[in-house]
Amino acid sequence: MTTTNPVLAHPASPLKRITNVTRLHFANPWTTLGLPWIILGVILAGTLTIWWLIYSALSSANREGALAGTEFGGSSFFIFVYMMVVAIQAISITFPFALGYGVTRRDYYLGSSLAFIILAVIYTTGLTILAAIEKATNGWGMGGSMFAPIYFGDSALGRAYVEFLLLLFFLFFGAAIAAVWVRWKASGVVAFFIVVGALLLGLIALVTFTDSWFAVGDTLVRLGVLGVASWSLVITAISAISGFFLLRGATPRNAA
Amino acid sequence: MTSTIEVHNLTKRFGKLIAVNDVSFSVTENKIYGLLGRNGAGKTTLMQLLTGQEFATKGTISLFGQAPVENAKVLQNTCFIKESQRYPENFRPKDVFTTAPWFFANWDPKFAERLIADFRLPLNRPIKKLSRGQLSSIGVIVGLASRAPLTFFDEPYLGLDAVARHIFYDRLLEDYANHPRTVVLSTHLIDEVSNLLEHVLVIDDGKLIINEDAETLRNRATTVVGMKTAVDTFVGARKVLHRDGIGGLSSVTVAGLNESERRDAKAAGLELSPVSLQQLIIQLTSTDTKEFEVSA
Repeated sequence: MTTTNPVLAHPASPLKRITNVTRLHFANPWTTLGLPWIILGVILAGTLTIWWLIYSALSSANREGALAGTEFGGSSFFIFVYMMVVAIQAISITFPFALGYGVTRRDYYLGSSLAFIILAVIYTTGLTILAAIEKATNGWGMGGSMFAPIYFGDSALGRAYVEFLLLLFFLFFGAAIAAVWVRWKASGVVAFFIVVGALLLGLIALVTFTDSWFAVGDTLVRLGVLGVASWSLVITAISAISGFFLLRGATPRNAA
Repeated sequence: MTSTIEVHNLTKRFGKLIAVNDVSFSVTENKIYGLLGRNGAGKTTLMQLLTGQEFATKGTISLFGQAPVENAKVLQNTCFIKESQRYPENFRPKDVFTTAPWFFANWDPKFAERLIADFRLPLNRPIKKLSRGQLSSIGVIVGLASRAPLTFFDEPYLGLDAVARHIFYDRLLEDYANHPRTVVLSTHLIDEVSNLLEHVLVIDDGKLIINEDAETLRNRATTVVGMKTAVDTFVGARKVLHRDGIGGLSSVTVAGLNESERRDAKAAGLELSPVSLQQLIIQLTSTDTKEFEVSA
């Protein structure tokens, strides 16, 4: 018997194969876009209500600056951590599905990564617009601050930069966890967190025993929020690359 | 003849378990293959190996002349429909049929629409809320409408009723006639598909025990029915696959008979009847398998 190569009518180009996977993540954008914005909306509504209660309880003389402390709040932080959940869900759900459609793990991971970068852009844009509204309305009319927390600096551009990198970090850290999950299921994720926990403890021990907490603090202050955000790219890249290699050895299984 | 799949000495181990044990076979282009065997025999693992979803422990696989693992050129010609395919959370059947054409160059939207109507699949209901049978019909529709040059169906019809299963068989045969392609179908419902299959692969306990043309396989065994004494005389020292009897009557299944043997049986007043594929495979994969292998 002889073996021949297939003749395909329209072989998909490598880029097309990757962007098809990207599109797959947005085909029904409930998990990736719908739910997170809804939760954020609910938090915003709740926060504004509380502010309004405080605001209206005060005499007009005391209102000025009453909500100044809210810039130290972190009610919008959830969105960043939640991106980790989004990444884990997106991968664990679409990976077995896409492989049944003849997608390679490589194309799958690259397409998903592109989807995550697009998500980070969308969320950064959304947060920037909300922050702009907040500034323009003088803190929703009450001097509050939800989308411009003091930790992210006070320039809109700087804030967007920090937010974008933070979103990327959580998305790709989530991608790495998802790859561990897809490959080894729950036991793998438990082992993963034990390793990450041990690494963190080791790092803390190292800093403590070498008496370098002051140096660490000094470095962080010197780097500033932008510098620290830039350095997060290193961990983001490590997560993204390990996610790739972990997923390349993964097999889709039915057990959840 | 060109072969779509070539497998040589393929073995897959999971720890101590040998799921696929030194299997070699080839699949000819544009034929319908049945991959049969009991639960846990290694059918799904074998199909996962063939589609590059699982990594082989030993041996080689070639699809369209190339190794399938992480090979986009090869894999985009395949479609693998699994028994318990999971779909992305919140997907509706509609979303599946929107996304599937992105991945299958030969996707036929008209055919998909017709199948959706045939199976009466509600398009806008969340997949989580579909019945088991409706869930299976999504897979069947994708597998058929994708027209992938190499399509794998792994027990695709869990929960499908008899009518829906027959729609599947009919549409598969009909579409296959117009758009020839290679189909590998794994199933428990052997008799239902036996007319569909052109070639049969039977895997038992990880080993490939039958790799034969369906027609030849059907002729491999015959049931001899008649008076007990006459049957016993005729059967003599032949290997018996199965024996049944009521009173003075006896029904014995023996390995294939040649023309003169058939004439002898007729002359002795015995009736000969073909053995259904299902019975044959049950007999071959139950305990006396090894004896049959030796005799056959």
